[in-house]
Amino acid sequence: MNTKGIQKKGLTHSQILLWAGQQLSPNAPLHNTAHTFDISGSVDHKIFVKAFQETIRTTDALRTVFFNEGGVPQQHVLESIEFEPECIDLTGKKEEGEIQGIVHGRSRWKLDLEKRAFDCALFKINETRYIWFLNMHHLVTDAISATIVYKRVVAIYSSLEQGEPEGYTNFPQYTTYVDFEQRQHLEERSSEIQEYWENKASAGSEQPVFFGRKPGNSVTEATRVSLKLGKERTEKLKALAKRPEIRSWTHNLTLFNLLATVFFTYLHRISGQNRMRIGAPAHNRLNKSLSETVGLFIEIFPLEAEFCEDDTFNSLLQRLKIEANQYLRYAQPGSVTPKISGSFNVILNFINASFSDFDGRPMKSEWLHTGHIDITHQIRCHVVDFDNRGDIELLFDLNHGTFSQDLIHKVPLHFLNLLDAFLEDPNQSVYAPSMLNTIGEEPATTLGADSDHRNTVIDEFKIQAVSNPVAPCLRFKSETTSYGELDGLSDRLASFLLENGTKQGDRIAIHLERTPEYLISILAILKIGGAFVPVPSNLPKQRIEYILEDSNCRTVLTTSQLKRNIEDASLKSVLLDIQKEKIYAASPKLNPIHVDAQDLAYMIYTSGSTGKPKGVLISQGALSNYINWAKDAYANSEKYRFPLFTSIGFDLTITSTFLPLVTGGELVIYKESGQGPDIALVEVFEENKVNAIKLTPSHLSLIEGRNVSNSKIKTMVVGGEDFKGQLAESVQDNFGPELKIYNEYGPTEATVGCIVSCFNRTKHKKTSVPIGKPILGMRAYIMDSHKNKVPQGVVGQLYLGGLGLAKGYANLSETTSEKFIENPFIKGDRLYVTGDLARINQDGEYEYLGRIDEQVKLRGFRVELTEIEANLQNYPGVKNGAVVLIEKKKAIPEDEVFNCTECGLPSNYPNADFDESGVCHICNAFKNYEERALRYFKTEADLKKILLDPNLNADREYDCLSLLSGGKDSTYILAQLKRMGLKVLAFTLDNGYISEQAKDNINNIVSKMGIDHIYGTTEHMNKIFVDSLHRHHNVCNGCFKTIYTLSTKIALEKKIPFVVTGLSRGQFYETRLTEELFWHDEMDSAYIDEIILEARKLYHQEDDAVKDLMDTEMFQDDSTFQKVQFVDFYRYTDVSLEEMLEVLKNDIGWQRPTDTGRSTNCLINQLGIYVHKKQRGYSNYSYPYSWDVRMGHKTRQETLDEINEYIHEEEVLRIMKEIGYEESGETEINQEHLVAYYTGDSAIPSMELSDYLKKYLPEYMVPRFFKYVEELPLTQNGKVDKEALKQLNLSQLDLDTPYIAPNGEMEELLASIWKEVLQLERVGSEDNFIALGGHSLAAIRVSARVKEEFELDVPLNKIFELPTIAEYAAHVEKTIIALLEES
Amino acid sequence: MHDLLINYVVAEICGEHTLQLNEEDLLLEKGIVDSMGMMRLVLYIEKKFDLKVPPEDMTVENFRTIKDIGNYILRKTN
Repeated sequence: MNTKGIQKKGLTHSQILLWAGQQLSPNAPLHNTAHTFDISGSVDHKIFVKAFQETIRTTDALRTVFFNEGGVPQQHVLESIEFEPECIDLTGKKEEGEIQGIVHGRSRWKLDLEKRAFDCALFKINETRYIWFLNMHHLVTDAISATIVYKRVVAIYSSLEQGEPEGYTNFPQYTTYVDFEQRQHLEERSSEIQEYWENKASAGSEQPVFFGRKPGNSVTEATRVSLKLGKERTEKLKALAKRPEIRSWTHNLTLFNLLATVFFTYLHRISGQNRMRIGAPAHNRLNKSLSETVGLFIEIFPLEAEFCEDDTFNSLLQRLKIEANQYLRYAQPGSVTPKISGSFNVILNFINASFSDFDGRPMKSEWLHTGHIDITHQIRCHVVDFDNRGDIELLFDLNHGTFSQDLIHKVPLHFLNLLDAFLEDPNQSVYAPSMLNTIGEEPATTLGADSDHRNTVIDEFKIQAVSNPVAPCLRFKSETTSYGELDGLSDRLASFLLENGTKQGDRIAIHLERTPEYLISILAILKIGGAFVPVPSNLPKQRIEYILEDSNCRTVLTTSQLKRNIEDASLKSVLLDIQKEKIYAASPKLNPIHVDAQDLAYMIYTSGSTGKPKGVLISQGALSNYINWAKDAYANSEKYRFPLFTSIGFDLTITSTFLPLVTGGELVIYKESGQGPDIALVEVFEENKVNAIKLTPSHLSLIEGRNVSNSKIKTMVVGGEDFKGQLAESVQDNFGPELKIYNEYGPTEATVGCIVSCFNRTKHKKTSVPIGKPILGMRAYIMDSHKNKVPQGVVGQLYLGGLGLAKGYANLSETTSEKFIENPFIKGDRLYVTGDLARINQDGEYEYLGRIDEQVKLRGFRVELTEIEANLQNYPGVKNGAVVLIEKKKAIPEDEVFNCTECGLPSNYPNADFDESGVCHICNAFKNYEERALRYFKTEADLKKILLDPNLNADREYDCLSLLSGGKDSTYILAQLKRMGLKVLAFTLDNGYISEQAKDNINNIVSKMGIDHIYGTTEHMNKIFVDSLHRHHNVCNGCFKTIYTLSTKIALEKKIPFVVTGLSRGQFYETRLTEELFWHDEMDSAYIDEIILEARKLYHQEDDAVKDLMDTEMFQDDSTFQKVQFVDFYRYTDVSLEEMLEVLKNDIGWQRPTDTGRSTNCLINQLGIYVHKKQRGYSNYSYPYSWDVRMGHKTRQETLDEINEYIHEEEVLRIMKEIGYEESGETEINQEHLVAYYTGDSAIPSMELSDYLKKYLPEYMVPRFFKYVEELPLTQNGKVDKEALKQLNLSQLDLDTPYIAPNGEMEELLASIWKEVLQLERVGSEDNFIALGGHSLAAIRVSARVKEEFELDVPLNKIFELPTIAEYAAHVEKTIIALLEES
Repeated sequence: MHDLLINYVVAEICGEHTLQLNEEDLLLEKGIVDSMGMMRLVLYIEKKFDLKVPPEDMTVENFRTIKDIGNYILRKTN
């Protein structure tokens, strides 16, 4: 190797990315770019060698080798490389397959990049057929480069053959490009370009998952499948591309756009993702010289598309045209970054390159696939027409991580279906064409064999009763009822009913507890050919009434006690307790009746989305189909012994009710205990009498801690909810391997259960146990939103058909026709639209993926909540999880905000309510108590009396300390105090942000008036600001508190008896004189003073930065509040704004500061406004200003101007930095959050859970909040009540206390008061008042309402002493009891 | 203006100084310029004439010949 004159260079960006990819899989030939050229003719080996060697000599890329220098890759261009392409004689081989195998095999040979980045050989197949094999590592080539090399070799060969002189010029060198690229990077990259790609790469950064399969981590193996479009189709495509509304600048670009449209559609249809990116390589050869250079030029940039429901191929194409034009603009060489490269997992590679013949000899080229591609690429689609045949070929490289063998061969067919649909009619919906072939492809449906059972359940029961009359059938406590007895009793009841006017076909309600009478009733009703309507004993009256009416029952079987629930007197009640004797005196002989499969068997009511329950009509045929299937499917070695312990209104219970009866088994009855199903469940396990059970997963979690190793249960049928794998495993572990666990899926509308699987722990390893396969007599389809059957593995909605379908809903013909549709595949057949999502897995089993409404869209991504839950539950310590999507309060857009016509309060102020005249609730309320409130205000004479009280120390230096902010209010006060002849010390807090003009103002004023003045400061001011921002979303709170603290301190030191504040009247109403204080007439001003003083004491005790950092000890001592009294000047004066301004101008020369931009002295003020607006969506001045307007101190227009005033964001950010405030990045508004609730032994740090989930779930599926709860709330039917979970407030979610619902009337009442005062949607029993945002003013309001509610005076501070509802309620109860005892 | 454009296309995009190009030649349809090349011309025009070409305007009609491009520029700058 000639080492002289080696050029050493770094790598270009594209090269680095490839190099890195190769390093990750060093032995995988994923970057071998190999071609074969199958030449018809003879090739002279010697000439060929020379041609190739000349080519090496003149092409620097071929002389490039690569080294890893300490982790940094380098390329060295050698002066020469010795290489002679060998000629391999394959003339002995006759089998084409073998020949291809040998040739292809060479493409997988590993290239030693330190020696040579290419390989070349000539295979002689026979005298007139040669195959030229050329492999170049992608680091030195791309598609166009391969054609250049080919062309050069052929040209030289041709010259040599014709004896032309040697001496070929060098190609333009790749190193020139490398240098150019390096230079580009050193220069300022255009920020516009950078920004464009940054945005493209980040927005919605998740990559789609295809066919529901997440790729395994280290798979490079892939298969290439070819799809030749054929001449006809290619022509059609080209014709479409010529249409003016379709075409772009060039034919190739147009073709690209068309294919991209189909490709995106395909990806969308197999992933369900709305928004996605594909990578498209740009050839980057921007001038003639570059287009003749060999080397790696391509850079891959993303194209993005977002789908809408009503997209047609054309509408999508039009958007892609724009997108492609943008791409052209921004895809500048050297712009790609790792982030951009990582933002897509799919490639569309439009190769505009071709190989001509080999010096006159016909040639057929093939681009070889090595069987490996980039780890991160799941699908690559190459569009080629290498041999310029006018026949476009699509090559799909499919990563084995996503694609199984059978799927791989379907991909081209799926794609073709879409392409053909597009070519046929560009204006059809992208969802319309089916991707599946009509012939040959297995549609996602399973046809259970038709059941030919004709026996009704009564028939089956009779068989058992006749063959074994003495066998026990029902057990209830200590009673046993035999088959014969049950048969007899039900016969008699049936007779009784017939004698009393009931006819075949009637619907009869059963309103009973779980007792033997329930069974007798069911059988009796079925025996007379009627339909039973179970009405559970614990239903609220309203609902009972509704059901009875809606179902059109004329008769109800009940007991004397339960009869009280039935209001309708026209209903005939049969009281099975009182009328027992009469009933059983009836004749046991029943005439045989004939029942049709279509006759109604029962009606069960399910919850309806409109708020009223829906009655589902189930026929005899449907019931028989299920029961007859189940009795065999669930059979174990013994006869069934099922417990009856679930609600009779739940169709889950049908299984337990009938299976024993039709098989000679036993039904052990557990009555309701009045406290819900839980206790009954516990009894079942305690008594351990049964060997089979039907229950929900939530039931299972309730018994999880129990030792069930002795349990006799051998058959467990689980239904009603998604059954998590974790739970199934744990149940299997606890019960032992003999337990057979079945997962039974079925909506009520398809009769109890219709898709069932048997849990197999070796097979079922996923997060949820699959629901299995349809039972006999039932069908299932999985279809997309356009009723196309989806390919196996793709998620779609589940549709059910078959014998088990309900007839419909009672009295709801519209809903019935919506939910029961015509089967698009079988004429005359019906399907039920389940609203459930499912897919078929690789084993052919159905998997349940949640409700359509539980499938949420989070920022354009599909999120399966059940998936998050199951993963969460895998974490040790988490028992059960439920995830909900909470949509935060939406901020009202600026232009939709309107203002109170009187005070200007904006409509985005929380809970703002406006009447028809546009007047806000605060103005209206104020009108009611204003008069009473005036009692609170006094006169100047009163003020003088206080300040010049003769009992005060005559030697005092100052009469009062006056808080001087420099604003008009406080300045006016100074003037007045002076006029009144008082000795005043003025105090100003210098918080570091007082404007210069304001300071000047202050200094001028105090000097002019000859008043002593102090500036107070504290080194902790910035920390106090930050704390105030976090706590109150403003800066003023912290500032005020500091003023009060410092001024009190000074007053104490100097023995000044009074601090005079400049709180305006408006501010009184804003901060103290809340409406509640004036509800009672007896609240006189002295009383109000007391309350305010109490509130003040509490205020100073609040645990915040001021308390922590400053010296606030004095506030612990009650006497402080005696020694220094706060006096609000404006309580004693009612001066008009005009008068005030007059005095200020004429007598004092006060100047309004202009350097702060608003009516304040303070430069940090706007930071508070900015933060508040951002975090809470409205201005914190809305409320205070409204009071100013009510007081006449501001006009409404001034308020509007100021609230909407522009905030200098840069300035604000600068100050934020100065004081050390970091925005939390979380605002309360306009965000959707996933919130996970979980149970377990104790709360787990959210960070841990979040980190764990990030390992298994895409970022956007990891919940933002995790809340530990003691129990997940359940609905009546034992399922998790997600609606209840959605009700929480963000700040509550940050708390670590578990949510416990308020218990008992007192707690509930208090909770409702707190909710109102603190403006929350839900308050838990253990939540802390202060942590929820409670403060002294809120305390006043709560106490006032407690007083209102209970006529009880609870001291204000109690709420801080006993800050939880539980404690506070206990105290109130104790107090009330004590009072009652006294009297 | 046409000369300016012609010069740019010939020198910068095609890189073939010997190429004879007139204002009626079909740039895209005859393959004189490919789409990336046309984009370079657009960037040049934007800079030279201080205008912005939105992606919707990037049609064959507007950029068919040097003449058409010239007309487009005139329309945008008025």
